[in-house]
Amino acid sequence: MQEINRRDFLRKSSVGLIAGIAPQFLFNLINDKKYPMMTSLILEEYFNVSIEDMKKILEIALSKGGDFAELFFEHRITNTVRMEEDIIKDSSENILFGVGIRVIKDDKTGYGYTDDLSFEKMKQTALTAASIASGSSKSLIANLTKKTIDLQVYDLKSPINEMRLTEKLELVREAYEAAKSYDSRIVKTQVNFMDEIQHITIANSEGLLISDIRPQVMMAVSATAEENGIRNTGYKTAGGRYGLGYYKNTIPPKEVGKRAAQDAIILLSAIDPPAGEQPVVLSSYQSGVMIHEAVGHPLEADGNRKKTSIMWDKLDKQVANPVVTIYDDPTIPYSRGSFNIDDEGTIPKKTILIENGKLVGYLQDRLSAKIMGMELNGHGRRMNYRYNPIPRMANTVLAPGDAKPEDIIKTVKKGFYAETYQGGQVSDSGKFTFSVNMGYLIENGELTKPVKNATLIGTNVQILNEVEMISNDTQFFLGTCGKDGQSAAVTAGTPTLKIRQMTVGGRK
Amino acid sequence: MNTNNLLELAEKLVDFGLKKGANEIEVSIGEGSEFTVDVRNTEVERLVEATSKSLSLRLFVEKKTARANSSDFNNDALERLIENAIERAKIASDDPFSGLPEKEEITIDINNLRIWDPTILELTTEKKVAVAKKIEKICLSDKRVKKSLGASYGTYIGETFLANSKGFSGSYKRTSCSAGVYLQAGEEPNLFDEGWSDSSRTLANLESPEDIANKAVHRVTRLIGGKKIESQNVPVVFEPPMTANLLSFLFNCINGNSIYLKQSFLAGKLGEKIGNDLVTVIDDGLIPGAAGTKPFDGEGVPIRKTVVIENGLLKNYLMDTYSARKLNMKSTGNASGANNFYLVPGESTPEEIVKTVKKGLLLTGTIGFGLVPSTGDISRGAYGIWIENGELSYPVAEITISGNLGNILNSIELIGNDLKFRDRITGPTIKIAEMTVGGK
Repeated sequence: MQEINRRDFLRKSSVGLIAGIAPQFLFNLINDKKYPMMTSLILEEYFNVSIEDMKKILEIALSKGGDFAELFFEHRITNTVRMEEDIIKDSSENILFGVGIRVIKDDKTGYGYTDDLSFEKMKQTALTAASIASGSSKSLIANLTKKTIDLQVYDLKSPINEMRLTEKLELVREAYEAAKSYDSRIVKTQVNFMDEIQHITIANSEGLLISDIRPQVMMAVSATAEENGIRNTGYKTAGGRYGLGYYKNTIPPKEVGKRAAQDAIILLSAIDPPAGEQPVVLSSYQSGVMIHEAVGHPLEADGNRKKTSIMWDKLDKQVANPVVTIYDDPTIPYSRGSFNIDDEGTIPKKTILIENGKLVGYLQDRLSAKIMGMELNGHGRRMNYRYNPIPRMANTVLAPGDAKPEDIIKTVKKGFYAETYQGGQVSDSGKFTFSVNMGYLIENGELTKPVKNATLIGTNVQILNEVEMISNDTQFFLGTCGKDGQSAAVTAGTPTLKIRQMTVGGRK
Repeated sequence: MNTNNLLELAEKLVDFGLKKGANEIEVSIGEGSEFTVDVRNTEVERLVEATSKSLSLRLFVEKKTARANSSDFNNDALERLIENAIERAKIASDDPFSGLPEKEEITIDINNLRIWDPTILELTTEKKVAVAKKIEKICLSDKRVKKSLGASYGTYIGETFLANSKGFSGSYKRTSCSAGVYLQAGEEPNLFDEGWSDSSRTLANLESPEDIANKAVHRVTRLIGGKKIESQNVPVVFEPPMTANLLSFLFNCINGNSIYLKQSFLAGKLGEKIGNDLVTVIDDGLIPGAAGTKPFDGEGVPIRKTVVIENGLLKNYLMDTYSARKLNMKSTGNASGANNFYLVPGESTPEEIVKTVKKGLLLTGTIGFGLVPSTGDISRGAYGIWIENGELSYPVAEITISGNLGNILNSIELIGNDLKFRDRITGPTIKIAEMTVGGK
């Protein structure tokens, strides 16, 4: 249930990415043993709707002449735990359960959803979606044939939803204590822990019947330091499509806590940035956000088939400096942005977007691919069953070059080094803004004073053409991307790179 | 809509929670019907229509808290949700400040709030589609508009039910409608996106298709040819939507949670002068027909009018029950966030305000996230119209704007008379004495 508000309208043509520090409402979540892992069950049976009934509902959805109909069943359990002021403040369990029904007629979409999976309610919802077309049934429904998934990009070995709450609390406390005890100037710490299991089944009028079970975990720590009345906050997130082993073997919670505290302490001595155009070095730590905004969004197919993206007429043209190659790969194992199938049931592919500066592809969903006459590449995603799918990114990556990070910094006499971000936003016309939480001045080829409150602003054309040097130390930013009022878990990766000239905003 | 049944369900679940071992429990249920139509290039592009429910609950075992939400209304699922929450609460920490508010009677007459308009229920799909098409058609008839990014019309009809173990039981209905359009203008590579939309609790108060279209066209075409400027410190005039953004940030800085967590630069400043005499900010959730008007908040606390800043003096924070207890104060009925949070208007017209600026910026849009509550620092991407000798002269783009909320509250020089309760947070045109505009 979505109350429509004016802000959503105004946000319509801008898209943004925020750091994985999700607000409370995005953190939802699960509780243990009472929801058994359903891996062993046949998912189509999970929703208690027979294949015959699915077919009937699809027929009803096309009864007014639609070209394509689709059912998206979802059951998602999200658990959260929050620790602040030295106590476990609260925990929550959030259940999303329902079906979304979509009908496509030419380039029009009819959409309805219901949380009631009775045949009558689904039929009513199908009729609502059907009304995007007006006429009589033309399309036949193919027999629904179960399709299996070959590649498994999740770690389902030690599912976190089978973990006891007390064990989760231990992880949370470990991160909390590490941040709090890092320095006596740390005055406040908050840890949010989220784990999720999403079961989906997709059936469509072309005969596809496919299911997926997707895990997702995220730990987010914020630490605030205070000295002489100045307060600053550092953040660190860690997570992905993992199980419990991730925090035991890969990233111990104490490392997450420590990094947040470290940044908060560094920021105590930070200065405001010098405003104006200057060379900018983007650190590999989180600068993927820049690639996501400046390149990823303009290459989502919807804005291109509608000719509102500045990239719509540039396929096969040189749009960037030849050192630039960018792709989106939803199949990176265990990554926060990965999936076995997209939310339309398509098996995703690593999709090259820009190759040596030339635009070679767009991120497609079914609707856009059909209209543009292009191939599907598995980028149709939706926030949940209450939303129609749209083209989205998964894991967007700028391919590495051969420069060394320190050699890049050495080339800058006076400039700005961006390290951590609050987030970024871009409009259809390609103008973007990034809020830098922490950066450094570059003076005579060296990082000197830490900088806070900087804003980077520019256009994607400018970024793509002014990338000068690219390193090979790729790291990933974990984020939650917002578009058309829908959020999606994504990552964005980049090595350290240099932009010849960019506008830095600040108070000096 | 099944009023009695859903309120009864909430009450039944409260009883179930108490029986299973919760000391206190609160259950709220929302039911609503949404409709949205998107039109682009004079054709319907997307139509969404659905009715759905969702449930939220909060319970306490001794002084330990757990929460849950569900869109699955299967009885077994709901009972299991409560049992799980009780188990989770048991292993949470004791928090002496937790717990439900004491019951307070709702004394206002819900009918006087004017948040329910039956004519919205009677709107046909054809009519809604026609309005969206009309708005877009007017926009596209202006040759300077290069593309439509789509026009939309939406309605929402909803009802909220709340019951808790302190004996509170209540519900209210509300409607809203909205219409808007988003456009693109300019020539590559200098394209500009802008638009306008309006929303209202009642159909009669929604701006006409002509007004919405004309505003959207004006807002996008005035940006054509936007250029960068040199970095400088100048007076900045905020248009109402920009003032509203500033007030959203102020709300974050004066809400009880930010205060007790000391995440706001205004923590500990109650009773102090934090702005100049012109600045009076109020949260009033009882303004008839306004966006945030309602009889009670998410905890069943009656909604009221709270003066937050009076002539520059910080008089009150806005709190829910928990943050109020942390601060040794009383809830202000803000468990659902801002009600109608606004800057009291002044007497100048927006045109008069622009006339007072010799050289400066009319801020019409910002993008980005750069707001830091702990310091009040603001740093965002921006665009607008450059003002010279009191006249709007040329558009500026790809600039940044930065300043500090504390300084801004002390340097508001003029406040406009153009306040409209369009959103839950709203304000009129204002003039700030000086901010940093970053450019070349």
